[in-house]
Amino acid sequence: MTALLETRNITQRFSGLVANSDVSISVGRGEIVGLIGPNGAGKSTLFNLIAGVFRPTEGSIWFDGEDVTALPAAERCQRGVGRTFQVVKSFETMSVIDNVIVGALVRTTVMREARRKAYEVLEFAGLAARAHVLASDLVPAEKRRLEVARALATQPKLLLLDEVLTGLTPTEAQTGVELVRRVRDTGITVLMVEHVMEIVMPLVDRAIVLDLGKVLVQGKPADVVRDPKVITAYLGDRHAVGA
Amino acid sequence: MDKDFASRRRRELIVAAVLALLAALAPLFVKDVYVQNIMVLTLMYAALSQSWNILSGYCGQISLGHALYFGLGAYTTALMFMKFGILPWFGMLSGGVLSALIAMALGYPCFRLRGHYFVIATIVIAEIALLLFQNWDWAGAALGIDIPIRRDSWLTFQFTRSKLPYFYFALVLAAIAWFVTWWLEDSKWGYWWRAVKDNPEAAESLGVVVFNSKMGAAAVSAFLTAIGGSFYAQFVSYIDPESVMGFQFSLLMALPAVLGGIGTLWGPLLGAVILIPLTELTRSYIGGSGRGVDLIVYGSLIVAISLARPQGLVSLFSRAKKVPAR
Repeated sequence: MTALLETRNITQRFSGLVANSDVSISVGRGEIVGLIGPNGAGKSTLFNLIAGVFRPTEGSIWFDGEDVTALPAAERCQRGVGRTFQVVKSFETMSVIDNVIVGALVRTTVMREARRKAYEVLEFAGLAARAHVLASDLVPAEKRRLEVARALATQPKLLLLDEVLTGLTPTEAQTGVELVRRVRDTGITVLMVEHVMEIVMPLVDRAIVLDLGKVLVQGKPADVVRDPKVITAYLGDRHAVGA
Repeated sequence: MDKDFASRRRRELIVAAVLALLAALAPLFVKDVYVQNIMVLTLMYAALSQSWNILSGYCGQISLGHALYFGLGAYTTALMFMKFGILPWFGMLSGGVLSALIAMALGYPCFRLRGHYFVIATIVIAEIALLLFQNWDWAGAALGIDIPIRRDSWLTFQFTRSKLPYFYFALVLAAIAWFVTWWLEDSKWGYWWRAVKDNPEAAESLGVVVFNSKMGAAAVSAFLTAIGGSFYAQFVSYIDPESVMGFQFSLLMALPAVLGGIGTLWGPLLGAVILIPLTELTRSYIGGSGRGVDLIVYGSLIVAISLARPQGLVSLFSRAKKVPAR
């Protein structure tokens, strides 16, 4: 079976700055894949390219067996790519349920159906009690979950999570980890960008490490964390010597 | 599951129906023609502001050029009747469709602009249209058009003896504009517009095609505004460019919504009920020597509202909804 998502030789330049160079990764159906790397490694750029925020300078992106390189973000969502934002972008002037309804409307134009789906997703994400609160009144951890709920309401095949676990308290992060697992168990493939290694590594099936815009290492989390190249990238040469 | 929501929607409909009924009975008690005139204008501006609110309030694309669609509606109706003898009802519809098409043609380049630049573009375009009409001989140029007076009839939509037919038409218009808004509020479009206004980038990521959403809002908004313009042409039976396409109309459509509550269902109506009688009264009482005093009153009100209640007057009625401290 073909991979759900594949990037082929992606290169992205921003007026001279090369953010991604020749990145080829693939994500299989039903996997949880972690995309990690030090600051400035090009994770966010790759992420935005997959979500369709902008088009790569070179290379192509394949989703579900089709070339989606030229498709704008909205259309990729319609095809089944859901995403969250690193800096949360809730609809602050709308209630929590209305936020999620916007997502649900991609799959149906019947309001009753969209509302039902939205409640279902809120229940799943543990936000049902907050359905009628304004999104601006949520605490940060809840806003993260709202981002996930909104994306889930679009009924994606692939869910892109951009640092949803970063900056949370350990308990909140644990709830988040469980949520991601449950998402995967419903058959949705997950690609997540994360900083916090300890949380991500036990969660993901496979990790892809980016450094300086290139794929440094990819493989099983246990192997990746022990790879000298990864340690060098994160901590510098001095620490790698002893490894 | 969401009974609250359904019952709120039903309550809104009932309140609107009761208000419309009360308004319909008002002429039984109000015989004064001057007051009737104010009532007609109030309802008309309520309808116009409600239309403006769709594009600018819900979808967040602030237009200060809606006088263009108002004028197009007025001119289309008047010209078709005068030049070709086509009944105003068809003129009204044509004006609406024409305005919707022009709104989309203008939206195509303008919706790429954001914030203040979009507002400026709307002002400039309406002013250009005003200049064109002032110099367009076939359409009467700056002198305007006297709509030929026929017998009083619903067919030609002319009534010289009584204001009441106009009153009832304006009432129906306001009711339609309100109902369209009410209906759109709980539809895909309503949600898309609010999402676009709130955060376009997030909206895109959820499958909302931002550009199309804006185009849809512009078309509906322009169509309804033009119907209001057609009505106005029939009501005053004489139009010239300045009196139907002047900048003040763009303001008069925006202000009631801003006063009452921008992007809310009841805001435009509430704003119009307060603002329009106030304008008419200050204008006639202070009148001649005090030209512009009505505008001063206006200005002060808007300043007061934006300082004390930036969400508009309707927020006074909503059950103590928490306002995010900013």
